[in-house]
Amino acid sequence: MSCSPFDLKDYFFDELDGAGRKQVEAHVTGCRACREELSRLRLTGTTLLSLREEEIPRRIAFVSDPVFEPSAWRRWWSAFWNTPARLGFGSAALLSAALVVFALVRPAPVQLVRQVQVPAVQTAQTAPAVSDAAIQARIDQAADRAVTARTQQLVAEVAAERQKLLTVAAELEVDNSRQHALYMTASQYGPPRQPAMEAK
Amino acid sequence: MIFRAVEDGDLIRQATRGNVEAFNLLVSRWEKRVYNYLLRLTANREDALDLTQDVFLKAYQNLRKLDDAARFAPWLYRIAHNEAYSMFRKRRPESDVADLPPAATETGIAVGGSPVFPIELSLAVASALERLTPEQREAVTLKIYQGFKFEEMAEILSCPVSTIKSRLYTALELLKIELAPIEARGVS
Repeated sequence: MSCSPFDLKDYFFDELDGAGRKQVEAHVTGCRACREELSRLRLTGTTLLSLREEEIPRRIAFVSDPVFEPSAWRRWWSAFWNTPARLGFGSAALLSAALVVFALVRPAPVQLVRQVQVPAVQTAQTAPAVSDAAIQARIDQAADRAVTARTQQLVAEVAAERQKLLTVAAELEVDNSRQHALYMTASQYGPPRQPAMEAK
Repeated sequence: MIFRAVEDGDLIRQATRGNVEAFNLLVSRWEKRVYNYLLRLTANREDALDLTQDVFLKAYQNLRKLDDAARFAPWLYRIAHNEAYSMFRKRRPESDVADLPPAATETGIAVGGSPVFPIELSLAVASALERLTPEQREAVTLKIYQGFKFEEMAEILSCPVSTIKSRLYTALELLKIELAPIEARGVS
């Protein structure tokens, strides 16, 4: 029974890692029994390896016969289906093709929406085609209309103010006449001549 | 110009695309090892050669199923193991495969009664290997002669690493006892 930290046969068959090998080597240095056991294993291995390999009596070779060779298409197809990466790529390509076909062949309602949108786009695109003179004429017309309307509004306001001033002036004239009559009456020490005032 | 060794992975990729010459180069790299592995299992040159051809034919037919090119060796030996045991079952359909001893003689691996290894040491080793069970012998072959790791052996033989270690360590103890007299006489 070996007292080695690892099985000496594992060491002999090179199945230990670096640390395990070092431990065994350190142990074997100081343990005579394990050293002798390892020597016996090595001697047995050397004896077994004295049985040399034989040369093969007849070399093996395969001949490529075109009759039995699969066609290029079949080789490609076989390689394609036997490779996961290519199969995935093929699936992706098929999906892409389906998306393109779907995009090209859309249902009718989608086409209607597109038809409605087309004139709007065309209007927006053809707007710059109107001449600057026409735009300027329209702007001038709009400005004239605005100025005319504003002028008419101001004339009306001035007329209204004038009418108010005339009314105030008439009232002031009446007041002046009354004051004058009152003054004359007071100066003559008599009652005011009402009828004359009314006649005036 | 930069030279780079063509690795098995490159050859496998080319062979997968239908390049037969690339596969032939791959075969030339592995045929000797696979043949000797099958020779240890069957102890018969003709069977080993036939099986080796079948192994590489199956490998070519199923090369596209190999997911990781780095696992080519265990995958190839797995095919070889299956082919060998399939042959054992066909020849002895009613027997347990584990009980099937290889067709060996007292003088070691033989074809038509003629000894293959005339050297005394080789005979002793071959004789000692014959005394192992087929599972132990296969474990020793994969580890000692083919240099696989325990995990790769578990993949080839479809069994846990613990089982592999048990078979191998038991076989090693038996071989130590069997080969002790030879070793005592000196092994160079």
